[in-house]
Amino acid sequence: MSEFTDWDILRNLLLAARWTVALSLIAFAGGTLVGLSLTFMQISGRAVLVRITRLYIELFQGTPLLMQLFLVFFGISLFGIDVSPWTAAALALTLFSSAYLTEIWRGCIESIPRGQWEASRCLGLSYFEIMRHIILPQALRVAVPPTVGFSVQIVKGTALASIIGFVELTKAGTMLNNATFEPFKVFGFVALIYFLLCYPLSVASRMLERKLHATG
Amino acid sequence: MPLVSIDNVHKYYGDNHVLKGIDLRIDAGEVVSIIGRSGSGKSTLLRCINGLETYSEGGIIVDQLEVKDDDRQIRKLSKSVGMVFQHFNLFPHLTVGQNITLAPKLVRKLSTEEAAETAREVLRKVGLQDKFDSYPGELSGGQQQRVAIARSLAMKPKVLLCDEITSALDPELVGEVLRVLETLAADGMTLILVTHEMNFARDIGDRVIFMHQGKVWETGEAKAVFANPQTPELQTFINAVL
Repeated sequence: MSEFTDWDILRNLLLAARWTVALSLIAFAGGTLVGLSLTFMQISGRAVLVRITRLYIELFQGTPLLMQLFLVFFGISLFGIDVSPWTAAALALTLFSSAYLTEIWRGCIESIPRGQWEASRCLGLSYFEIMRHIILPQALRVAVPPTVGFSVQIVKGTALASIIGFVELTKAGTMLNNATFEPFKVFGFVALIYFLLCYPLSVASRMLERKLHATG
Repeated sequence: MPLVSIDNVHKYYGDNHVLKGIDLRIDAGEVVSIIGRSGSGKSTLLRCINGLETYSEGGIIVDQLEVKDDDRQIRKLSKSVGMVFQHFNLFPHLTVGQNITLAPKLVRKLSTEEAAETAREVLRKVGLQDKFDSYPGELSGGQQQRVAIARSLAMKPKVLLCDEITSALDPELVGEVLRVLETLAADGMTLILVTHEMNFARDIGDRVIFMHQGKVWETGEAKAVFANPQTPELQTFINAVL
């Protein structure tokens, strides 16, 4: 089985890593969209909406991502709808990341001091004007570093999609290991590629935190 | 007709009866200082006047508008009542100019040029015309508070509520803020101040209201109240702070 050179292994892993990146981007974009809607539901102050969001967050934060993947992948096919691993992974990761992003963003919005609301209200601004001009621009600043930081969790979370048969970086590693029987080398490469994807995000998160703090 | 009339206002925080039937009339152009210990209800009363706090009973009318917890009414009131806070509450992500022009543009529907013109005018009044493009974080506490006053003035209010506006300032910065208030008073602005600056209350104020245990305990012409307090509670308070 020595027809695989190191370069072959690395090349195949890098090709598969494209799918890790693609899945991460989709999960992040989907999570942002759903998360934004949920965040606005949470801060609307309407009891029903707040409770629905709370339940959603508890549900997705209180169960393993792997179970969520299984439920989406096997659950939806029970209704006679055929779900590809790709769709199931994208959907499950979207749901998962939206729950966490909502918590992060709600915290950022609530971190804006009460005095900002009071001053705006005394000046006659409406709820939406206060949100649009005063609260959200400030909350956005606070939100960028933890959001970028959370994207690292999404990248690593995509590894679980390998279990439902989606061929991304981890799955490719498993397959290459089965062909080469060189687990240390193969998974070493796999880990290295994850690290190269995640490390810049961590650094960016920390840099943004410092930068946004300094000008805040 | 008084500019501000407060009729038998009560407020409760749960079981805590914080305002116990307040009656007050304040005329246009008056400078009224509300003094009293912390917990006497003075800040709460002030915050009821522009609807930041709701009250449980009674009625408040400012500039012929009833103060009630209703977004549209609060927006209307904002054109008659301005407020300045202890901690300035400037918008840190906006420049001084943007801080001042935002509400006039959104609420009073001024054009960008008109709002900027107004902003320059009020900044001149507080002596900070050169800070139009600065951010609040670049200013001293005293300057920030003067910007906050300017921001309120840009809405052209008939009465300005000041909630302990010098309490968070370093002692050497208090003077510049009080001088701005003095100018406003001289210009005929109606001022209602919750304050610990007793000298200011006595020398600039027309009237002093001493609050105690949620009631207007004693009130009168400023100099007379300090010179000749009628109740032992005010006597004790004045001895403690002067």
